[in-house]
Amino acid sequence: MKAVGARLPRYDGVAHVTGQTQYVDDIRVRGTLWTKALRSPHANAAIKRLDTSKAEALSGVYAIVTHKDVPHNVYGHLEALGIPADEPLLAVDEVRYKGQPIAAVAAVDEDTAREAVDLIEIEYEERAAFFDIRKAMDPDWPNIHQWGPVYPHFGSYNHRRVRKGDIDAAFERADTIVEGVYRPQAIEHCPIEPQTALVVPEANGRLTIYSCTQAMYFSMGVVAAHLQWPLNKLKFVGGTVGGGFGGKVDTASETISALLALKAKRPVKWRWTREEEFLVSSTRAPWHMELADAVTSDGWILGRRMTTLHDAGAYARFSPYGVTKHAFHHTGAYTIPNVHFDGFVVFSNRVPTTAMRGFGVTSVSFAVETHMNRIAEVLGIDPLQLRLKNANRIGDTTPNRVVLKDPSTVPVVLAAADRVGYDLPAEYKSMTNARRSGDLLPEHLVAQLGEPEHSSNGGGR
Amino acid sequence: MAKHKGRGIATIEYPTGMNQNGDPSQAWVKLKPDGRVDVFSGTVDIGQGSRTVHTQIVADTLGVPFDWVTNDNTNTDSSAVCTGSFASRGTFIGGNAVRFAAEQARERILDIASKELEIAPGDLDIVDGEVVAKGAPDRKIGIPEVAAAATWNYGELITGTGAALKPYADVNNDDGSVELEPHSAISYAACVAEVEVDDETGEVKVERLIQVYDVGRAINPTLVEGQIEGGAMMGLGLGLLEEAYPYYPETDHRGGEFGAYLAPALEDLPDVDNLIIENPSEDGPFGAKAIGEMANNAQPPAIVSAIYDAVGVWVTQLPATPERVLRALDGEKEPRRDGKRVIFDDPVSIRTVSSDGGKGFFETDG
Repeated sequence: MKAVGARLPRYDGVAHVTGQTQYVDDIRVRGTLWTKALRSPHANAAIKRLDTSKAEALSGVYAIVTHKDVPHNVYGHLEALGIPADEPLLAVDEVRYKGQPIAAVAAVDEDTAREAVDLIEIEYEERAAFFDIRKAMDPDWPNIHQWGPVYPHFGSYNHRRVRKGDIDAAFERADTIVEGVYRPQAIEHCPIEPQTALVVPEANGRLTIYSCTQAMYFSMGVVAAHLQWPLNKLKFVGGTVGGGFGGKVDTASETISALLALKAKRPVKWRWTREEEFLVSSTRAPWHMELADAVTSDGWILGRRMTTLHDAGAYARFSPYGVTKHAFHHTGAYTIPNVHFDGFVVFSNRVPTTAMRGFGVTSVSFAVETHMNRIAEVLGIDPLQLRLKNANRIGDTTPNRVVLKDPSTVPVVLAAADRVGYDLPAEYKSMTNARRSGDLLPEHLVAQLGEPEHSSNGGGR
Repeated sequence: MAKHKGRGIATIEYPTGMNQNGDPSQAWVKLKPDGRVDVFSGTVDIGQGSRTVHTQIVADTLGVPFDWVTNDNTNTDSSAVCTGSFASRGTFIGGNAVRFAAEQARERILDIASKELEIAPGDLDIVDGEVVAKGAPDRKIGIPEVAAAATWNYGELITGTGAALKPYADVNNDDGSVELEPHSAISYAACVAEVEVDDETGEVKVERLIQVYDVGRAINPTLVEGQIEGGAMMGLGLGLLEEAYPYYPETDHRGGEFGAYLAPALEDLPDVDNLIIENPSEDGPFGAKAIGEMANNAQPPAIVSAIYDAVGVWVTQLPATPERVLRALDGEKEPRRDGKRVIFDDPVSIRTVSSDGGKGFFETDG
């Protein structure tokens, strides 16, 4: 073995730093038209009238598309996972966030496209917008989503649940209950390369789609679903991304560009502006998490109650997936035998939120780890010892009943302690990730022990 | 008024692959007539270096020099399915796809070499681009000669295909339980943040980050460190600077231009001390788990806890801007106590803010 473990240079590193890498915007195709979108100026409004005729008459305009031009307008990115669709590609009779696309223009240059957008006649009837997700279940909720205040399709539930053990007994037995609220924020992905697509109609009837997507097959599936086309009529070209961080899992510019290219019968490029990238592209979701932990005076965590609200923005997109992943990891790197978790995907009139590095878990890591340090402070226990004691061990069972095979809470804590010269008692220094026994197997952890499931990988050939 | 030092720790875990699985990656490999190797995988390189990692995996699986291997991930006509570069799945799942493809191509190489050497394939090994008889190292044939023989003498293309897919794990909606493991592996990390907090301006400076990652196996330690340090910068942004809605949940002050949105720059980079440990996974390529996304998860809680250690206040709405630190210093520092309950953050809780105590969020068990 020579390559694995070697510090080999990045395949494309030199090209990136010398400006030789070809990104989507570097590709020039003769006759390319440029795109601008009509976007909602309101966070919540009904569309009373839409008339594109003056814009269509403008010299240099080749095509305008609205919802009427989309063969399958309402398509959910995760329909294959049983998450139904709620979001139109182009708005029909209402808009639910500032910046929602309503129509798009392809014209000879960006100025003409912008001028045409300004010529589109539209009338709105503004409605009350909703932003504080903590009030979503209040009696005066302003009816901003057809499914109600929260995503209602976790089976028959309107929330993702995790239940394990006897939570009431754990809270009864606890010496102390520590409660806290954690509110990590929405952030922008901030890619250097904004959302960009170039779509070229080929003579043989195919579309070649130059894309900055993080997921070519996934995005190809999204375009094919909106167009109702078979995959062999599409060719995605990509593989290199000018910064994604999760934001380019959204298929943001490809489909509308494809519709314009088909209508105009010309190559079409849509290059979002920096302003669009900041104000209209999706963000990481803001989360609201409430934790209550039942703990003993000597630092065992007997149980956890947790309620999570995930601010999805105006449409569901990947949020139900993110909340489920969040639920699966709500005990972090520790073994807690009794849990009661409810996670809600809450709608607001914000730009829809999406995947971002650590999706679903960045939030819970912040809540759980800050809470651990608070518990240590309340109990007067060393925060590292608290972690080592409750650490995941081989054979421990997660809240969703997965028996752990190779957990490393103990090794990483000990390595960090060693690195900073943190003094730990000998019985902690000698800990490993091995199966629990002796003092580390108190009565409340016996029932959760299991045998790890082996050879699980995804491996067909 | 003074500057105070503080230290905080966080320990995290993170799954590899889409939650609940069902996310295939596929690849294929072919040999050119001179034995050089083309790998076609649909894995998008989002800067993490997956092309390099996949090339390394193929080189060692086949037993050929790294620079014989080329990776084409540029289009959906020549590449098979890859669900995408997200969910920290590129090295493990994408890497398994190219590994399986290379293993199949390796068998074809041994078949052809077996004919040329008149030695059973099971008695052959591949070392540094040569097929060698086990126990008789002088009996050997170079892979370039094997590929040439396949092309010109036997009329064969040496190729291999690979597909990695862990079956979808259904979740029980009543209690969240699963029958199948809903991930490919779990990676762990610990982060210690050392900060200096100015109690007059509220400014927080992260001076040092000590970060330990168990990645199973570091296929390329330089790229792992790139993830650790790049992730640390994003973690600093989350912890201290970045915010799309500065007065969330209000939507005012949204910014809308570069200058209105503070992302970390190199001057914010603290001393970083990275440590990689290797507790191999059972079935990732060469024992790999993942690094990817988790690299920005540990810093925010470590920083917030270090701020507490420095000045005795918990900032639990992120980011911990100077304004929030100063407001916390001016506010109530002690939690409310009610019997054995110790209650932090009461003013921002659902039960406080909702007009009916948030009944719909709490009364979920009928």
